[in-house]
Formats: sequence, structure tokens, C-alpha cells
Amino acid sequence: MANKQLGFYIDLSGCSGCKACQIACRDKNDTNLGVLWRRVYEIGGGSWHEQGDALVDGTFSYFVSSACSHCTDPACIPVCPTRAITKRAEDGVVIIDQSKCIGCRYCEWACPYGAPQFNAATGTMSKCDFCQDFLAEGKDPACVSACQMRVLHYGDIEDLRAQYGTAGAIFPFPDPSITQPNTTFTPHRDSVPSDDRSAQIMNPEEV
Amino acid sequence: MQKQNSPNSGVSRRSFLKWSAAAGGATAALSAADFAFVPARSSSHAQSAAAAARMVRTCCPAHNCGGRCPINATVKDGVIVRLESDDRTYDELDDPRILACARGKSYRRRLYHPDRLKTPMKRVGERGEGKFEPISWDEAIEMAASEIKRVKETYGNSALFVPYGTGSYQQVNGSHIASRLFNVYGGHLGYYNNYSWAQIQRATPTVYGTQTTGGQRQDWVNAKYIIMWSWNPAEMIDGSNSAWFIKKARQNGAKVVVIDPRKSLSAVALADEWIPIRPGTDAALMSAMAYVMITEEIYDKEFVATHCLGFDETQMPAGLEDEESYKDYILGTRDGTPKTPAWAEAITRIPRAKIVQLAREYATIKPGVLYQGYGMQRRAYGEQPVRGGCVLAAITGNVGIPGGWASGIAFQPTAGPYWTGMPGGSNAVETSIPCFLWSEAVIRGKQMTGKDGVVGADMLDNDIKLMYAVATNCLVNQHSNINRSAEILKDTSKVEFLIVQDQFLTSTGMFADLLLPACMGYETYGLQDGWKYGEEAIFMPKVVEPAFESKSDFRICAEIAEKLGVGDAFTEGRDERGWIDWIIENVYRPGWMPNIPTIDEFEQQNIGVYSVPVTEPAITFADFRADPKANPLPTPSGLIEIFSPELFNMNQPEEIPAVPKYIQEWESPFGPEAESYPLQAVGHHYLHRVHSTHDNVDWLEEAFPQRLFVNPIDARARGIEDGDQVRVYNDRGTIIMPCRLSNKIMPGVVDVPTGGWWTPDENGVDRRGAVNTLTSERWSPLAFGNTQHTIMVQLERHQA
Amino acid sequence: MNTSELALVIFTIAAQMSVGAFLVLGGVHFFATRYAGIEEADKLSDLALLAIGPVLVFGLIVSVLHLGNPFNAWRAITNIGSSWLSREILFGILFAGGGFLFTLMQWRKLGSPGLRKIVALVTAAFGVGLVVSMAMVYYTLPSVPAWNTWTTLASFFTTTLLLGALAISTAFVGGYTYLHARDRAESEKQRGILVITLRWMALVALVMMGLQFIILPLYMGYLATSGPTAEQSAAILIDEHGLLFAIRLLLIFLGAGVFSIFIYTLARSNRNLRLMSTLVYGAFALVLVGEVIGRYLFYASFARIGPL
Ligand SMILES: Nc1nc2c(c(=O)[nH]1)N[C@H]1C(S)=C(S)[C@@H](COP(=O)(O)OP(=O)(O)OC[C@H]3O[C@@H](n4cnc5c(=O)[nH]c(N)nc54)[C@H](O)[C@@H]3O)O[C@H]1N2
Ligand SMILES: Nc1nc2c(c(=O)[nH]1)N[C@H]1C(S)=C(S)[C@@H](COP(=O)(O)OP(=O)(O)OC[C@H]3O[C@@H](n4cnc5c(=O)[nH]c(N)nc54)[C@H](O)[C@@H]3O)O[C@H]1N2
Ligand code: SF4
Ligand code: SF4
Ligand code: SF4
Ligand code: SF4
Ligand code: SF4
Ligand SMILES: [Mo]
Repeated sequence: MANKQLGFYIDLSGCSGCKACQIACRDKNDTNLGVLWRRVYEIGGGSWHEQGDALVDGTFSYFVSSACSHCTDPACIPVCPTRAITKRAEDGVVIIDQSKCIGCRYCEWACPYGAPQFNAATGTMSKCDFCQDFLAEGKDPACVSACQMRVLHYGDIEDLRAQYGTAGAIFPFPDPSITQPNTTFTPHRDSVPSDDRSAQIMNPEEV
Repeated sequence: MQKQNSPNSGVSRRSFLKWSAAAGGATAALSAADFAFVPARSSSHAQSAAAAARMVRTCCPAHNCGGRCPINATVKDGVIVRLESDDRTYDELDDPRILACARGKSYRRRLYHPDRLKTPMKRVGERGEGKFEPISWDEAIEMAASEIKRVKETYGNSALFVPYGTGSYQQVNGSHIASRLFNVYGGHLGYYNNYSWAQIQRATPTVYGTQTTGGQRQDWVNAKYIIMWSWNPAEMIDGSNSAWFIKKARQNGAKVVVIDPRKSLSAVALADEWIPIRPGTDAALMSAMAYVMITEEIYDKEFVATHCLGFDETQMPAGLEDEESYKDYILGTRDGTPKTPAWAEAITRIPRAKIVQLAREYATIKPGVLYQGYGMQRRAYGEQPVRGGCVLAAITGNVGIPGGWASGIAFQPTAGPYWTGMPGGSNAVETSIPCFLWSEAVIRGKQMTGKDGVVGADMLDNDIKLMYAVATNCLVNQHSNINRSAEILKDTSKVEFLIVQDQFLTSTGMFADLLLPACMGYETYGLQDGWKYGEEAIFMPKVVEPAFESKSDFRICAEIAEKLGVGDAFTEGRDERGWIDWIIENVYRPGWMPNIPTIDEFEQQNIGVYSVPVTEPAITFADFRADPKANPLPTPSGLIEIFSPELFNMNQPEEIPAVPKYIQEWESPFGPEAESYPLQAVGHHYLHRVHSTHDNVDWLEEAFPQRLFVNPIDARARGIEDGDQVRVYNDRGTIIMPCRLSNKIMPGVVDVPTGGWWTPDENGVDRRGAVNTLTSERWSPLAFGNTQHTIMVQLERHQA
Repeated sequence: MNTSELALVIFTIAAQMSVGAFLVLGGVHFFATRYAGIEEADKLSDLALLAIGPVLVFGLIVSVLHLGNPFNAWRAITNIGSSWLSREILFGILFAGGGFLFTLMQWRKLGSPGLRKIVALVTAAFGVGLVVSMAMVYYTLPSVPAWNTWTTLASFFTTTLLLGALAISTAFVGGYTYLHARDRAESEKQRGILVITLRWMALVALVMMGLQFIILPLYMGYLATSGPTAEQSAAILIDEHGLLFAIRLLLIFLGAGVFSIFIYTLARSNRNLRLMSTLVYGAFALVLVGEVIGRYLFYASFARIGPL
């Protein structure tokens, strides 16, 4: 296999927030409640106005499904004191070795995507491993094959970008220059840039 | 539910684990998960040498979820360890993959839930107290049979009732099985219509003469304009893949508009524009749209002239020439109120310019689909927007053309889906009631007449004395006005015996005299097809053994039948698998699936889903459109009845007008009730659940927590912040639950997603959020339908 | 704030206090030797030295509690090449080892004073390395603006020296009381050392407090102008924890400011040793509590860019 970098592509314009991807990941990985390798943010902002009897809706909303972006310049790897996190040479997938992790949670602080998720049951950090066993079997990642709206895809990030563009700086994600994440988006009609101050995560207790 | 604990006292968790270990053969490692008896992944790895996993293609035990989706279940040591989506690779319009939703993917947490009903149980406390004691199956069957026999002998078969229940349509499980049992035993009081679409089902034929007003979804990509009116397929599915078909249509250039008081998942993911509307006022918006179309002369004059009845004074039915035509109503020639956008703005809260825009777009961007969801018809006078929508489709000329849509209930023109092919047997009791009125038939059955929707006889000859409630939570949780239902059910002199057959101790089960544990879909045979749309049949082999002592509904009813001496008539010598075989060969093959695999092929080749690709979607009413004289509609006039002589003749013009009208709801922001209860409440169908089913699934509660949605404007006016516990109440009841401040619900409206398990505290206050604590048992005038989305409430912060 | 972060509060404070104490003690010892000869200098400092070890060891033990999987803790130094956390742990071990060695040598008077000095200097360097890497753990996280600023380094060092100075003061007062009780006459020289030390320590405390009060507004200004996440941190400090924030400032102001001024004046005129001692104990207690609160707030102010 030539050296490539796997990544995700999400067409936010058609993501319904149905969370089939999130649950597929749960079912595949048997993650404990509260540990969400893939999760779905509800983003919103704006406000309503009255105009006589009428109401004018000045709000916006969209959903963003998010997991680890298997970054090109991962923030999680250099900080890890145990070298538990590695990036595979052949496909750029970033994996946490459970047997090495001491659960210091430093990677959790460092990652600007909330990807590493602490598993209280094992005391270690866990996160999306791109369904490496499925990939090895030639299957699509569980979340991808579950997406009801067919808006979640994966592949060589170069191909995805060539096909769908390079949009990345979308709220709630930070400027991609920090870690060079390998997720690319088609924006939603309502989606706003990373630094937009009117946007908010509306479902904090769900993610 | 605190009381949830009592039924399990008989069988402890420990024995559940023991049981599951036994069911899994030699395995001993079935414990790790704290919540259920699913083995932890690590332990199953450890023994991977012992038993290889096997993948079984089956169907999600859909319940009444809005879809029907294939599932690939991985089974290891007799336990399902993973549920994956349809693995077919072809994914084009004609035969797309059918992808499971969050509920289907979470199913292991329901299947292996520690609270499952494990043994038959009989009531030991007062009715409704929730105190039960485990009994043997022998004792249970004996008890059920002798009570059925006693009631039949004392009152007659018409005192027996199988309430509406939508828990299962997989053929050998479901309430239709109990109905078959009663039928072979001499019959029972029947019911007609349902809680889903009573009004749209009744009102659509008043316009078109038929319920088959829809086409096939593949045709949506031909539309240039789509109005999703009260329709939220991204969440309520409405046939697996419906949301995806809309996405395809949009990609193909259609502009999509959602009209809903909530910015639904569909409004976010499928629409170009969301138009928030005050609940219960859709008929006003429709009227104003017609006003714009008529005054700007952009409606399809030619089509109206040739295909419609009662549009204006030129085409009134014979003998009714002087009555108010549709145009009269819209222009206000008789009532003095022209239904202008300004008029509608005050009612609907939609800016008048927006109404004008919407009317112009729908009238001119052709072809267009006006698709009606069922939310706006589950209301007071819900018949009106149904008829109004049909009329808009007609006067814009969108009927009978590719990319168009006649609106109304829109059943498919193909033979399927069948839902159940299991023969129900014939019912010797010919009387039936509207299903929503069962509580009336309990308290005053013998007084019920045609005025109460009784059909098949002038009057009922009995009150309901025995109910066999299978796969339903509709006696309490999903029926209106729970506190009232609870009072009715508590009274053992009314319903003398109540059998509840379910998988969990539901709020309905709390009132049971006898609780019978039904197995789940994965634990018996089944066959399912589409919910409303769908061109496939999905076979369900028995994937794992029934948990504990649970049995299929078919098996349980067969045993009762045996005891009643009608065993052979009931089973006809078949078991569960035998019936699925019979249904494939006698319903599907001679019907619309001549090439459907046999049951052996399904099973041995692990086929799962069999689909019939749709390359040329059917266009309903195309022949009528081409030549209305030669191909008349099944209406009395053969035309599209904008003015319905049938309704006119009912002579209740205030509530059942002959042309669709906006009628102020009986609980409304415009009525005096708004002083005490200023907020409208809807209870939308939430992705957490199928009605009350799945409410106890933790993965889903995490993904879609139960809470009341309220606009920040209404919340802040009451000092309510996001996450606060709120008290929502009206004269019928009170709920205390957490809230979510959301801009996605319009000011003046709150949403308590339907299906939370009624959990009364010591003061009778519901602590979970069962919206039916607040709803009214009043039915709609024409269809005798449930009106559960029409309620007014007040909201305040709850100080603990 | 969860228990694992509480463990970090205790660990960082204890470690910084012991490094600070070690550094300060070195300085004091150096000047005391000149003033009164090495023998006298050793008397008080050896007592103080003995107190440092346990504090550090306590801190290190608590730090392990912060790990989800302590059984693997030994792996924590396997990424010296890039992880400041590894470096922190390495320096922690080195400082502890050096400190142990030095204490042993000093106590048993092993090796020449020159050799001991070298060991002390190396240990001090490890201590500085410990505080530096401790600060770098936070400073190098661009994802946490509240930490990703030079003030993290600056405030860790002011804390180190402030606590070090007051801890040594306290140890000296305690040591002196002990010596005085044993032998009144002999303690006269020690009193001289004590009073001079307290004077200087009070000055150090005042300067550190001054620095802290300069850093703080700069820090708040930085938070206010560095984007929404930094603002979120500022809001946590001011809106959510305003009271604690104020208490902390007050405690530092009282302990390192007001008390230190009194100590300084009393020490200069060498009167009322009793009151001086009480003030020293008080100052240390106030500042310790203040710094613990400060560190708590440091962790509480955590807000990460991107979604949580
Ligand atoms: N996730 C999920 N899906 C389901 C089900 C479920 O329980 N959960 N149940 C299934 C069943 S049995 C059925 S019958 C269907 C029900 O499907 P529907 O009846 O269509 O679903 P509802 O959520 O009740 O209503 C649809 C929309 O109507 C809106 N609405 C309410 N009142 C009004 C109104 O006055 N005007 C307008 N314009 N909109 C209004 C609601 O906000 C909601 O978004 O769903 C099926 N699918
Ligand atoms: N306020 C309000 N109320 C509503 C609605 C609304 O929109 N608002 N919607 C209405 C609609 S559209 C409907 S269809 C009804 C639905 O109401 P119900 O038909 O009562 O649906 P559920 O609440 O899902 O209850 C089904 C029960 O069947 C059980 N079950 C599942 N599978 C099986 C099985 O195989 N065998 C047996 N024996 N039991 C099984 C489940 O555990 C569950 O308790 O609710 C209606 N109620
Ligand atoms: S998203 Fe976070 S965890 Fe994943 S590679 Fe990037 S920095 Fe590391
Ligand atoms: S939690 Fe585990 S993976 Fe993350 S930095 Fe610490 S040791 Fe590395
Ligand atoms: S690729 Fe696999 S592990 Fe990663 S989010 Fe998707 S399902 Fe989860
Ligand atoms: S499954 Fe697809 S549509 Fe649904 S939330 Fe995930 S990405 Fe969005
Ligand atoms: S839509 Fe229905 S059948 Fe499909 S996965 Fe969801 S619950 Fe199951
Ligand atoms: Mo329904």
C-alpha cells in the first residue's frame, strides 16, 4: 500500500443529526456510556424577533458529526508521556495503545477536537481507531456504513479534498492550521466559520 | 420507574445472568457489562477460539417506528454482539441500501435489558399498584383462558376487546395475534382507524375518493419544489430512506420548504427554508395561499375547470348551486372575511410577504410536491388541513404528473407494503368503534351510537369487560389524558380483567391483572416490509433463543386457544416458522413479489432483504389526469371534490364544513383558556423512541435525552435556564422534567416528545415526561381521531 | 474540578514548595556560612533540609493518583524526547534523588563540603528543571489559551520562591524553637542567623507578591483579548469563582504583604521574637492556602479550544 493519509469527509448540508453514526461506533466498539468516539454536535445561534403579529426567525442551526481527525500534525502524540499514541505510517491512522496508556489525560487537553475520550472503567484514554480491524477486513468503518443520509465518507484525504474541497475551519472546530486535521466538509447553508462568536454548541450534555 | 423494580423481585439479576450463561451453552463469561448481560468485548475476544461468530441477516424488530430496515446481527455463543447496517453495496435510486437508525443500532441494549419481563406474573396488590408475583406458565394460561371464557359466557363476545397496539408487525408477534385468537373463539368488539393517521385517512377520500393518493418515492427527484408540511422524515422515517429520497430530489434541483412549528431534523438537513407556523393554523395558511393564487390568477385554471368540483360557483354540485364554494370562502364573499395573507399572518404568525412568496412558488415552480406529515392532523379539526392540502395540490395542477403529488395520506399505488399477512380470521362481532374511543366503550359502551363513531350496529350492546392488551402501551402511556385512563383502569368493576403481554413492565402493564412475557423480534421468526413505502420484504430468522421464559405472542395465544378448545382453529397446524412460510407463499408470492425467495432460501442463504427495484415509479392519477371522463376518481362525482357533498350532507357546517376551512381549535392561544395556559404543546415523535418503546435504552437516552424543548424567549420570561427542571401543567395533569432552551422551537410553543414512560410520584406528578399526562381525550369531529397535539399548558421553573 | 485535578494541585504545590525551599535554603546557607561559619549555618539548615524531602515525596505520591492507570506509571518517562510530562517526571525523580543524596551527605557529613556543594548545585538545577518542565506542560498547549502564556512560567516560579521563602522561614522558626528549648545559651548565635534570614525571606516574599500582582492584571488582560476560549477562562475565574479569586488575592496580600512587612520590621529591630514567629507561621499558612486556591483556579480555568 502506498503511503496515504486516511480521512473523513462530511457533507454538513445533509447531516440530519440522526446519530446513527454515533451509535454504530458504540455498537462496534462497545464503548461505555459517556465515551463517545464519534459524536454529533448541534450548533446554533441567532435569535427571534417579533414583527407585529408575525415572528421572524433569525436563528441558524446545523449538525456536525465528529471523531478523531487523524491529524497530520497531531497535538496528542508529542505530549503523550508514554508513547502510547502512534500514527501509522501506511495510512496515517492515529491509534492509542491501551497497554501503554497511563491515563494521564494529557492528550485530552492537547487535542482541540475532543477526540480522546477517557474510559473510567479501564483508566485509560480511548478514541477512534478508524475501525482498523474493519479496514483490514476490507470493510468500511462502522460509522461510515451506517450514515443514513450518506453524508459521512472516508478515504484518502487527498482524493476526498480533490473531490469535495478543503473546507475545514467550521465552528465548533478550531483553525485547521493547529493540527492539520484530516477531515473535510461541505458546509451547511447555516454553518459559520471557526471564529464566529454567535455560534454555540447547543447540546453540551449529549457530547 | 421506581415501581419497575417490583416485577423483577421474583427473578433476581443474578439468575438472569445464570440464565444467559445457560442459554449460551458452555460460556461462563457473561457478566462484565454492568447494565445488561452482553459479554464485554474483551471476554469475547478471550474465547474467540471457543466459538466463531456468525453473521445473520435479519430485520430490525421495527415496532411501529416509521421504517423497516435490514440488520446484520453478529451472534457469538448464542448472544448478539453486534448489529450492523444493510451491507448491500448497490445504492442507487431504484434499489437503495436501507440504513438503520439509532434505535435499530441500539437494539442490543433493549434485547439484553435487565428489566425484561422474565416470567408470567399475576397482580397481588390493588389494580394499578404495580405489585406482582411470578407464576408458572400453566397457571397463567389457565387464568387467561378461564377469564376469557367467563367474560364471554357472562356478557358475550362483544365484551372482549384487543386494544390498538403497534408494538410488532412481524407476523407472529403483535396485537393482531390476540385478535385472531378472539376471532376463532367467537369474535370481539372491533375497532377501526388508528392513532397515527385517523384524520388524514378519513379526510383524504373526501377529496379523492381513495387513500392511494401517493406515488413512488423515486419520482420525487422529478419535483422542482417540495413543501414538507408538518413532515419530518429525518426523524420519523416515514418509510426507510424517505429523507434520503428528499435529499436526492434536492440535489436534483428541487427547492425544499419545511412548514413546522419546530425546526425539525428535516428542516435542518433537507430544507432550503423553514417556515415556522403556529400549531393548529395550517388551514389558515393554506387558505391565504389559495387567496394569493386566486387573486393573482396563478392557479391552474384549466385543470380546475376539467378535474374539480366546487371550486367556484360555476362548478357546484347539482342541487347545491347556491352553497358556499371554495372560492367564496377564500374571498370571503359569504362570511365577509377575505382569507388574505394579512389575515393569515395574525393567525399563523408567518409574515404576510412570506405567505405570498410561498403561494407564488408553489403555484409556479412546477412540478411540485406538497407532502403532508401526520402531526398537523393529530389535532382538533385535523381534517381541515388534510383537505386544504389536497385542494392546494389540485388547484396548482400537481395531480397526476411526474414530479407532482396529490397530497393527502398518499398510500403507494403498488400492492405493498402489507404490514401483516397473518390472517386475522373473521370476526363474528360486526360492531366496531373508532380505536381512540376505547375508553368511552369502557365507561359507557352501551350508550355509544353512530354519533360516537360506532359502525356495524346502531349501538354497542356491551361495555368492554376484558382486554387482552398485546404489544401496546396505548391504555395508559400513549392514550390521551393518562390520569383519566388510570382512574378508568383502576376500577375493577369496569374492565374486569386485563391481560397485558409485553416485553417490559410498561405503564399499561402496571394495571394488568395478568402479565405475560413476550419474546423479542430477534427471538422468533418474522417477516416485515415497508412502513408506508418500501419495495422490499425482509425475512427474520430466529436469531437467538427467547430470553428467560418469554414466548412469542403466537405461542402464548396458541396455548390459550388450546385451553379454550380452539387450538387447531388458531394454529391451523403451523408454528411460527410455518406461518412465515405460509405468508411468503400465500401473500407475497401471489401478490406483488412472485420471485420472493422461499423460506428455506432466505434462511439457508442468509438473504435477509429481498427487494423489487423501481425503475419507473408509478404516477398516481395519471390516467385520471389524461382523461377524467374515461377514468373518473372513486368519488361520487368522479372529480376532485373541493366541495364535498358528502360532508355537506352531514349538516355540521361549524365543525365539518364542505370546503376546507380554518377552524379555531378548542384549546388555542385565541381562546379564554390561553389566560391560564398560554403555551401550545406538541409531543413530536422523537428519535429516542418508537412511541414509548426504547424509552429505557440508555444509549438512546444519552443521544436523545428526554426533555421539554422551549424557546429562550418563553423560558427567560419565566426565569427558566437551560437544563432547569420545569413544571409543565394544565387542568389534566402535571409533569416535572428537565428542559432544553432551543431556538428550534417557535416562541409560544413547547415540545414534550411523546413516549416518555409515565412515572407518577407520590403526588401524581409525572417525573419522566409522558406528554399524555397533559393531553385531552376529545376526538376530532369527522374521523373520531385522536387530537393529541392540540393542548395548552403553562410552564414554570420547578424549585426542588 | 475532579479528584485527579485535585491531585495535580497538591502535587504541583508540594513540588514547587520543595524546590523553592531547596533553592532558598541554599542561598540562606551560603550567607549564613559567611556570617557565622559553616557549623552554625548547618545547624538550622539541616533541620529545614529534613523537612523538604517528605513534602516532595508526598507530592510525588499524590501525583500518581491523578493517573487513570497508575500501574503503568513507570512508562511515563518513555517520551523524554517530546513530552514535557515525561520531562517533568524525570526531573521530579532526579530532584528527589539528588535531594535525597544531598540530605544524606549533609546529615552524615559525608564527602567534602565542596563535593556537597556540587551535589547541592546539581540538585538545585534539577529542581529548576522540574519547575520549568512543570510549567512547560501547560505553557506548550496551544489548545488551552489560559495556560499557553508566559505567565504560566512566571507564576509557577513566583509560587516556587514565595512558598520556598515562607516554608524556610517557618522551618527556621520551628528549628530555632527546638534548639532554643534544648540549649538556651547555644541558641544565641542561631537567633542572629534566624533574624537575618527572616528579614531577607520577608523581602523575598514581598518581591514575589509584587511580581504576582504585576503578572495578574497582565494575565487577565491577556485572557480578555485572546479569543473566545480565553474569555471563557476569564469568565470561569471571575464569574464562577469570583469569590475564591478574591479570597486568594486577599490571602496572598495579607500573608506575603502585610505579615511580611511586620516580620521585616520586627526582624530588623530584632525584637519580639515571639510575635515574629507567630507572624511567620501565619504568613506561611495564609500564603499556602492562597497558593493552593490559586492553583485550583489555574486548573479550574481550563477551557480548551474546539469542541469538548
Ligand atoms: N422517531 C420516531 N419515528 C416514528 C415514530 C416514533 O415514535 N419515533 N412513530 C411512527 C408512527 S406510528 C407514526 S404515526 C409517525 C408519526 O409521524 P408524524 O405524525 O408525522 O410525526 P409527529 O412528530 O407527530 O409530527 C410531525 C411534525 O408535525 C409537527 N406539528 C405538530 N403540530 C403541527 C401543526 O399544527 N402544524 C404543522 N405544520 N406541524 C405540526 C411536529 O412539530 C412534527 O415535527 O411516525 C412514525 N415514526
Ligand atoms: N400525545 C401523543 N400520543 C400519541 C402520539 C402522539 O403523537 N402524541 N402518537 C400516537 C401514535 S401515532 C401511535 S401509533 C401510538 C402508539 O402507541 P403504542 O402502540 O402503544 O406504541 P408503544 O408505546 O410503542 O407500545 C408498544 C408496546 O409493545 C411492546 N412490544 C414491542 N414488541 C412487542 C412484541 O413483539 N410483542 C409484544 N407482546 N409486545 C411488544 C413494547 O414493549 C411497547 O410496550 O401512540 C399514539 N400516542
Ligand atoms: S484529532 Fe486529536 S486525537 Fe485525533 S490525531 Fe488530531 S490531535 Fe490527535
Ligand atoms: S492519557 Fe494515555 S494516551 Fe493520553 S497522553 Fe496520557 S498516556 Fe498518552
Ligand atoms: S471509524 Fe470506527 S472507531 Fe472511528 S468513529 Fe467511525 S466507527 Fe468509530
Ligand atoms: S449518521 Fe450521517 S446524517 Fe446521521 S448524524 Fe451521522 S453523519 Fe449526520
Ligand atoms: S427505522 Fe425502524 S426498522 Fe429501521 S432501524 Fe430504525 S427502528 Fe429499526
Ligand atoms: Mo402511529
